[in-house]
Amino acid sequence: MDSATLLQTFANSIVAGSIYAVIAVGLAMAFGVMKMANFAHGEFFMVGAYTVYVCYGLMGWPFPVAVLMAIPVVALLGVATERFIFRPTRENVLAGFMATAGLALILQVLIGQIWGVGLMRSVPTPYMGALDLGGVRIGWQRVLVIPSAIAMLFALWYFLYHAKAGKALRACAQDPETARLQGININRMTMLAMAISGALAGLAGALMAPIHPVTPYMGHGIILTAFIVVVMGGMESIAGAILAAVLLGFIHTFVTTLSDAVTAQMVGVACMAVVLIVRPQGLLGRVKA
Amino acid sequence: MLSLKDVWAHYGSVAAVKGISVEVAEAEIVTLIGSNGAGKTTTMRTICGLHKPTKGEILFEGKRINGLDPEKINALGIAMVPEGRHVFPQLTVMENLEMGAYLRKDAAGIRRDLEEMFTHFPILKERHKQLAGTMSGGQQQMVAMARALMSGPKVLLLDEPSLGLSPLMTQQIAKIIKKLNEIGRTIVLVEQNARLAFLLAKRAYVMEIGRISMSGLTVDLKDDPKVRETYLGV
Ligand SMILES: Nc1ncnc2c1ncn2[C@@H]1O[C@H](COP(=O)(O)OP(=O)(O)OP(=O)(O)O)[C@@H](O)[C@H]1O
Ligand SMILES: [Mg+2]
Repeated sequence: MDSATLLQTFANSIVAGSIYAVIAVGLAMAFGVMKMANFAHGEFFMVGAYTVYVCYGLMGWPFPVAVLMAIPVVALLGVATERFIFRPTRENVLAGFMATAGLALILQVLIGQIWGVGLMRSVPTPYMGALDLGGVRIGWQRVLVIPSAIAMLFALWYFLYHAKAGKALRACAQDPETARLQGININRMTMLAMAISGALAGLAGALMAPIHPVTPYMGHGIILTAFIVVVMGGMESIAGAILAAVLLGFIHTFVTTLSDAVTAQMVGVACMAVVLIVRPQGLLGRVKA
Repeated sequence: MLSLKDVWAHYGSVAAVKGISVEVAEAEIVTLIGSNGAGKTTTMRTICGLHKPTKGEILFEGKRINGLDPEKINALGIAMVPEGRHVFPQLTVMENLEMGAYLRKDAAGIRRDLEEMFTHFPILKERHKQLAGTMSGGQQQMVAMARALMSGPKVLLLDEPSLGLSPLMTQQIAKIIKKLNEIGRTIVLVEQNARLAFLLAKRAYVMEIGRISMSGLTVDLKDDPKVRETYLGV
């Protein structure tokens, strides 16, 4: 690998890691509060991308507005999922799993019915040109992903550690019954967790729309990666998810460049297996007392 | 101020609390003693709404509160320190206290109560940035008590505050409970350590397999031969 390719791959790794982080953090947070995994999280990402396709690609709104539209759209989807799937199945993990897996299929078919299957929806590149790093050129559209992801993760961190509702969310994840004793409404907190989780996945999809094939099935690949990241990082650990996301971003991108995407996915799963053998609680996960 | 009238509570079809009646007057410490599995914790959980009673009535300041959610009951002025403390382990001491005041909007009042907590429990001021899960058992008990008090409750429910604490730490906690009562707090104290409970409380209820078997002034009960043998170990 020559130095130009190396630098290019390095830059791509950071872009991939940033997106993985935003997606996985939402999944980890929802899991932390509900102790249930949202298998439709990849489709939240997909709906975010379609929001940009519709608002920007079809209706011609400014790109930033289209991206921001993904927040209410997918947050609302998250809230609805909490209210109509997770809440009724709270006592039954298997039912919750089946229902969100079902929701994933419904969203795929629904989007396919409306905007077509097979054809890739093309979203025009809003920001032409590229950042020139000593001969290596990275499109602005990709560069943009990095600060956006950092801003989102920072906003989430600030909310969780400085806002009263954020602290209450953490309290709920740690001990829901005791949280109720303090007057914290668990249903409202779960809804909040799903709204944030949805907004993050939606924003990630929205940012990726111009640089990633937009299809009803684009959530498939990302959900597998997101689960690997969350398991590797330590299920409920947000910092762990970010760390694992960056690691996996590098692993996937480098292996894809040197070999192919299928091998990259396999190497990713193997890394997760190794982490689980060496540190069953995940990189930054905590052992339950 | 708080009264339980013929309250029943079940786990599935098994009754854990079988028709108990308890009265708590304003500004008194009432204790509920009993051996393992007598139903004390179930009674406390039923009062604060974590467990729904199957029969009977719980009145607080004349209003029925049985069947309400724990959030509502906390808002009405009943705060519980659960058995085993249950601090939020990954939250700092300060954040734990903030969660106690979750429903309050009076910033000035919260600040005043926080200062009061720091005078009752000086160690918490010193350790306010520490994660609660990394503290000793006794310190966690203090966090849990201060957290409950931060809601400004009219009644404080304490479920086995001495559980797993060293004798020295138990003494310290006991002193604080006494002081809290002296400044007018109403306290319901559940204890297996009857000696300690009798020292603190004016009245006691003795619970046996889901029923109240005896009740009365602690000065009288402590001379009862059965109480002496079973609970005081003399
Ligand atoms: N979650 C539960 N499911 C089923 N049965 C339970 C549950 N919790 C308690 N019990 C049963 O209910 C009865 C009363 O238990 P409870 O915890 O109220 O007793 P306790 O007086 O607090 O005991 P201890 O002094 O050990 O804390 C016991 O027989 C116990 O086995
Ligand atoms: Mg108990």
